[in-house]
Amino acid sequence: MDWFYIQGILMLAGINLIAVLGLSLLTGFTGLFSFGHAGFMAIGAYLGAFMTVSPTTSPAGLGLPFAVGVIAGGAGAGIVSYFIGRITLNLKGDYFCIATLGFGEAIRLILNNVQLFGGSRGWPGVPYKSTLPAIIIVDILAVIFLANLVRSRHGRNMIAVREEELAAQIAGINVFKYKMIALVVSAVYAGVAGVFFGHYMTFIQPKMFSMTKSTELTIIVIFGGLGSISGSVLGALLLTALPEILRAFEIWRLVFYGAAVILIMISRPKGLMGGMELTPAGLRKARNERKARILALKESKNGQNGEAGLG
Amino acid sequence: MADILEISRLTKRFGGLAAVNDVSFSVPEGGIFGLIGPNGAGKTTIFNLITGVYSLTEGDVRFRGKSISGLPPFKIADMGITRTFQNIRLFKNLTVFENVLTACHLGASYSIIDSVLRLPRFRKEEKALFKKAENLLSIMGLTERRDLVANNLPYGMQRRLEIVRALALDPTLLLLDEPAAGMNPDETEQLMRLIVRIRDEFKLSVLVIEHHMDLIMGICEQIVVLNFGIKLAEGCAADISKDPKVIEAYLGATEEV
Amino acid sequence: MIQFLQQLINGLSIGSVYALMAVGYSLVYSIMSFSNFAHGGVIMLGAYFGFFALTLLKLPFIPAFILACAGTTLLAILVERIAYKPLRERNAPFLYFIISAMGASILLENIVIATIGPTFRTYPPVIPRTPIQLGALAVGRLDLIMFFISAVCLTGLILFIEKTKMGKAIQAAAYNIKACALMGVNTDKIILIVFGLGGFLAGVAGVFFGMKYTVYPQIGNITTKSFIAAVFGGLGSLPGAVLGSVLLGTIETLVAGYLSSQFRDLIAFVILIGVLIFRPSGIMGKTTVDKA
Ligand SMILES: Nc1ncnc2c1ncn2[C@@H]1O[C@H](COP(=O)(O)OP(=O)(O)OP(=O)(O)O)[C@@H](O)[C@H]1O
Ligand SMILES: [Mg+2]
Repeated sequence: MDWFYIQGILMLAGINLIAVLGLSLLTGFTGLFSFGHAGFMAIGAYLGAFMTVSPTTSPAGLGLPFAVGVIAGGAGAGIVSYFIGRITLNLKGDYFCIATLGFGEAIRLILNNVQLFGGSRGWPGVPYKSTLPAIIIVDILAVIFLANLVRSRHGRNMIAVREEELAAQIAGINVFKYKMIALVVSAVYAGVAGVFFGHYMTFIQPKMFSMTKSTELTIIVIFGGLGSISGSVLGALLLTALPEILRAFEIWRLVFYGAAVILIMISRPKGLMGGMELTPAGLRKARNERKARILALKESKNGQNGEAGLG
Repeated sequence: MADILEISRLTKRFGGLAAVNDVSFSVPEGGIFGLIGPNGAGKTTIFNLITGVYSLTEGDVRFRGKSISGLPPFKIADMGITRTFQNIRLFKNLTVFENVLTACHLGASYSIIDSVLRLPRFRKEEKALFKKAENLLSIMGLTERRDLVANNLPYGMQRRLEIVRALALDPTLLLLDEPAAGMNPDETEQLMRLIVRIRDEFKLSVLVIEHHMDLIMGICEQIVVLNFGIKLAEGCAADISKDPKVIEAYLGATEEV
Repeated sequence: MIQFLQQLINGLSIGSVYALMAVGYSLVYSIMSFSNFAHGGVIMLGAYFGFFALTLLKLPFIPAFILACAGTTLLAILVERIAYKPLRERNAPFLYFIISAMGASILLENIVIATIGPTFRTYPPVIPRTPIQLGALAVGRLDLIMFFISAVCLTGLILFIEKTKMGKAIQAAAYNIKACALMGVNTDKIILIVFGLGGFLAGVAGVFFGMKYTVYPQIGNITTKSFIAAVFGGLGSLPGAVLGSVLLGTIETLVAGYLSSQFRDLIAFVILIGVLIFRPSGIMGKTTVDKA
């Protein structure tokens, strides 16, 4: 394995990680499941390409700098997600998933028919702009933004929505607003990931952003453990690298992948990290919780405390 | 004493069933007010109507003289009405402290930008929130369980934590839905004292649903009796327990333990 | 006018096949309240079973057809046992079921790609391609047979649910599976039968689909449309699934015929989004309020 190959895998993993981090906020922290985030990646990839592709090629772009593409891709996906959120965030349970699936597929099918962007044949000639350092920097910024957001009253409100929606409302939390924030942030992340993806592949096609891609992102979040940023990071690195390393078995790798997903669901549904963070503060918190549990168990066994003995 | 909550001609229909039918009563400020009735009488439905969880079919709910019907639950909570649930609804996977801290958010106003950049406003307000949550836990005797995940709390403590979480919102009206469900007489006794203490210390008005008659008769200054969604009687404990209509409604209907 | 009728007939016949698939989604949803995305994979394998029974085993049409249906029945039950049963026993939230279903769907699709290959295969000409002339209308024999057999299967299913003791138990489970379990009903058996029924109809649909179009591993993606039909009709409602499918099939064919075949696939998603916005419970689904 040469460096070029490893670098490619790292870049793919880093790009996936951007999208996964966003989805982690939506799914892991706010409790909403999406099967349509590939659609937001597609919006990012196409808008980004539209900004940067040279005006002389066909399909033509605007020939602007890459940074403009990144901003446009993220903003575009965010704006679209806002309107989608307006009509779907009130749906209950399964139906929100189904709606995101519908929108994700609709975005792909619309792109299939937009000849301006090359339709289903795709769009070649996207400049190669995604570099490993740039991706790493964006990943780090994405993690910091997310970690700080989650550990604030805004993040706590989202977690409350995930834990018990009705109780969150009664506690004065504007559930719709916080679902919306989570959705828009996750869509911006997915859009930015899409821009980097397009400028890594140098060729984009609606087919790349199918429901399978959306499912893959959600699976990574669950694999890493809901409500854990470090889990999402590990998940994205492992699950992107694994299929690439399995390339030797090319045709069998997706078979393993499918089997692994079922296996994870039926055997370790809490994911790698199970809501824990791999940081000093996170580990301390986990230790305190364990201590408290042991203490409570002891007390209820001794039964000296009247209330603790209640069951 | 002014009335903090006025319920007038409140009606809620689910399809053909009138779960609450033309019910009116008022909760005086600073009072402990009881709501009783057999299973399915419509008590919880009234709570859901007051807190905006259900939309009402007819009638009006006024809080401090202002109509609150039609407002979303979170706005009603902001105005100062909070509640507990008959089937406990804690943030199960969060610790005791996090449960309370989450509900403490009303005092803070820092934005997402403040939190992402960890600006001074974030630090200052966050510190105040932490302090407030710690404070509540210590007043309510839950400091020792601070780090326990809510799901692992003993049942009685879960009920207590739900009350603390409600208090974190600085309410002026607290609605308790069967707070003594599943408790033995000792614990019920403790709970009674707690409710009175909370009312005095936090200066609130309390509306409580209960099947434990000792509790209701012991602490409620005024009681409304419901049956099949209709108001059967209203009065002080002594009057209610003598009212023939109430006795009839409760005959046969077994008292829940 | 003739053209319109012609399109309508095509739409009805494709709609009836959608219905065979959609009831599979709806049956499972009614009992277990999750969208069984592995169903698409089962349908796809049904098409392959039929294909190989005809070409490799050189069976006549009817035995091949029965073999394919038996295969998908077993397969659907197998998927349930492996991917869902452990979750049921743990009372896992619905999301885990969906993800597990996605995993099963990826697994089935790629097993086929890895073993049989991604190529498109065409069914041998079992049914003559020459259409039947009904006045000025030319109706494909296959369309006619598809419509007829689908109608028979669906009627059979509805009679089974409405008239038999087992069917009544399924209805009760759909109403409240926890209460059924408490009353001593063997819910495991009910779930087994539900998956078996869905699997059987998936076989019928798969064979027809293969005959009408071609067989390839990604057929499962098309079955997403039958899922949309089930949502359109109201997830969990069998008559709803049938109605939604027939409507979707017809609308699709009309759109392809009169507007542009490019919009054919898009229209399903437009309908889906419209339904979710204006009536999430679908045409015939029941609305539920969650209790506080
Ligand atoms: N969301 C709902 N949809 C339909 N019917 C409902 C709903 N919520 C409550 N009901 C019905 O309204 C009636 C009153 O219910 P409610 O929960 O208010 O009773 P309750 O007095 O709190 O009884 P309990 O003592 O058992 O808690 C019951 O018949 C109940 O079935
Ligand atoms: Mg009640």
